[in-house]
Amino acid sequence: MIRIEQLQFAVGSFALRKISLHVRPGEYFVLLGPTGSGKTLLIECLCGLNRIRSGRIHIDGVDVTRYEPRNRGIGYLPQDYALFPHRTVRQNVGFGLASRRSDPTTIRREVDRLMEQVGVGHLANRYPERLSGGEKQRVALARALAIRPQVLVLDEPVSALDEQTRDELCRQLKQLQLGTRTTTVHVCHNFAEMLSVADRVGIIQQGGILQVGAPADVLQRPAGTQVARFVQVGNLFAARARDVGGWVEVDCRQGIVLRAAKRGAADLSGQVTVMVRPENVRLTPATPEKPPEATALEGSVSAVVDLGPLVRVRVCCGEGVQWLASLGKREYQDHRLAAGDRVHLSIDPSDVHIMKDEPATGPEKEPRNSRN
Amino acid sequence: MNRPLFSEPRATSPETGLHGRLFAASMLAFVALFVFTLLAIFAADVSYAGRQAMGEVLRSPEIRAALKLSLWTTGVTVVLGLLFAVPMGYALSRYRFPGHALVDSIVDLPIILPPLVVGLSLLVFFQTSAGNWIEEAGLKFVFQRKGIILCQWLVSASFGIRAIKLTFDGIDPRIEHVAMTLGCTRAGAFFRVALPMARRGIVVGGILIWTRAFGIFGPLMVFVGAVRFRTEVLPTTVYLEQSVGRIEVALAVTILMLVLAAMALVAVRTLGLRQQ
Repeated sequence: MIRIEQLQFAVGSFALRKISLHVRPGEYFVLLGPTGSGKTLLIECLCGLNRIRSGRIHIDGVDVTRYEPRNRGIGYLPQDYALFPHRTVRQNVGFGLASRRSDPTTIRREVDRLMEQVGVGHLANRYPERLSGGEKQRVALARALAIRPQVLVLDEPVSALDEQTRDELCRQLKQLQLGTRTTTVHVCHNFAEMLSVADRVGIIQQGGILQVGAPADVLQRPAGTQVARFVQVGNLFAARARDVGGWVEVDCRQGIVLRAAKRGAADLSGQVTVMVRPENVRLTPATPEKPPEATALEGSVSAVVDLGPLVRVRVCCGEGVQWLASLGKREYQDHRLAAGDRVHLSIDPSDVHIMKDEPATGPEKEPRNSRN
Repeated sequence: MNRPLFSEPRATSPETGLHGRLFAASMLAFVALFVFTLLAIFAADVSYAGRQAMGEVLRSPEIRAALKLSLWTTGVTVVLGLLFAVPMGYALSRYRFPGHALVDSIVDLPIILPPLVVGLSLLVFFQTSAGNWIEEAGLKFVFQRKGIILCQWLVSASFGIRAIKLTFDGIDPRIEHVAMTLGCTRAGAFFRVALPMARRGIVVGGILIWTRAFGIFGPLMVFVGAVRFRTEVLPTTVYLEQSVGRIEVALAVTILMLVLAAMALVAVRTLGLRQQ
């Protein structure tokens, strides 16, 4: 549906670097990246609000690179919603149809239908300044949908809302998209938000797309250390890998050797970065017998952080080597781990992911808003 | 006894507690002092001028002609001023080009310059070949009524441009971007979104242009002179009357100007700045 080829655009010293991206018809695609990564700039190029220096943009097979924003068939919901403050909710929602000179009866019918659909029918005559954040978001969504766009572009649509409203609106956005099958590009920097809506996700950093794939693939198998750091892997180490037939043996120094399953025919020997997601590290209280897994390390619990549904445990294995493990509440209650306890860490070889790019410098810091 | 580091919050709003009231009173005291000073001066003018001078002013055909000319020229100046201030304010706010900062500063020059200098500079300009060419083309300004408008426009437009630019600065360009994705052209987004949103700023800009234009006197004396029934506006009348020693009539004209200005400001604010 959307095909971006070799797109380049610069603002001051920041530039989007030869971005190529394909969003499939009817897909809910999330563009995920930290603040300042170029997400908004990229979708402004997609909407035609920035004239790109080079590259092509195709929507539904049509080259729209030089099209005016109004002719691209895109419904755009920007950050902070950008509602027209001098117009009522009804006038905001009907703005696009009025601009396209639809007849007043059609406008009225369509606006009524959309306002009911997003749940703002009772606010029709209010001005935006008297709406809550969630209501503004719904009005802006209805306004974008009113022109029956081929593509819906949502720029951080729920970032300004509290967590509860955000979850509810994400659920509704997904439901709406499943109902209409409108190809949707949703920009955000929040993993939970991405996971709740995305069919596929593209990771953008410093003006470049680093990886595109299903959310689980990106989280479990990041394409490089930059992505791994961004998706808050937790356990990320520089290591030396060696092919030992059926396995890859990964020496993380400090006496820590992991076994990783081989994937494909790629040669993974040499200097690598290795990652294990915290939820794939199994913890058991230390006993004289080692667990049966191929990789079993021993260490002592240095910190336990209760995150509500999950408990994050930091384990010290050797000098300064910290491992992170995420346990479910039930699992944690079974073991009742506390700082100072000796534990075994078991890691399945299929959960050890090896990346051959620039080495990581050390273990990840404690993630701030991870729900992994 | 040690006092707690944080005392229990009092069940008062920020404005009703003793500290809040004292703070508000000290701020409002400045407002009161300023307004009182102006009212005291105004009262002194009224008392000095007396009823007879006021009657004379209202009956005098010269002063009535000056009043009409003042209102007509300032009205045209506001229209012309806004005609320039709106696109200029928008352009300076939205577009960046080489020399932007320089142009932005040049626009402010008439605010800084003494108005008399503007009149003098205009007089000199119309002695140059470019000025002569304009006059020969039929646009005569020197010692003409059109010259009053030119002077007023040059001196006052910058105030409007500045006010309107600040208004557009405060409007998020993304709002116009959304309008463009919804079917508007670039110009359509300006007229249907940015312009209505800037209404309050435009009204304020118009007020600033009018008040500045209504009060100027120095450049008019130099550029168009003070010819009765021809180029005399109310500030010129005040000068002419006081120069022949008729102070009470000059003050009566001043009072008339103040009342007119107050009425105009209140009317424009009520109509133009009305909340939706």
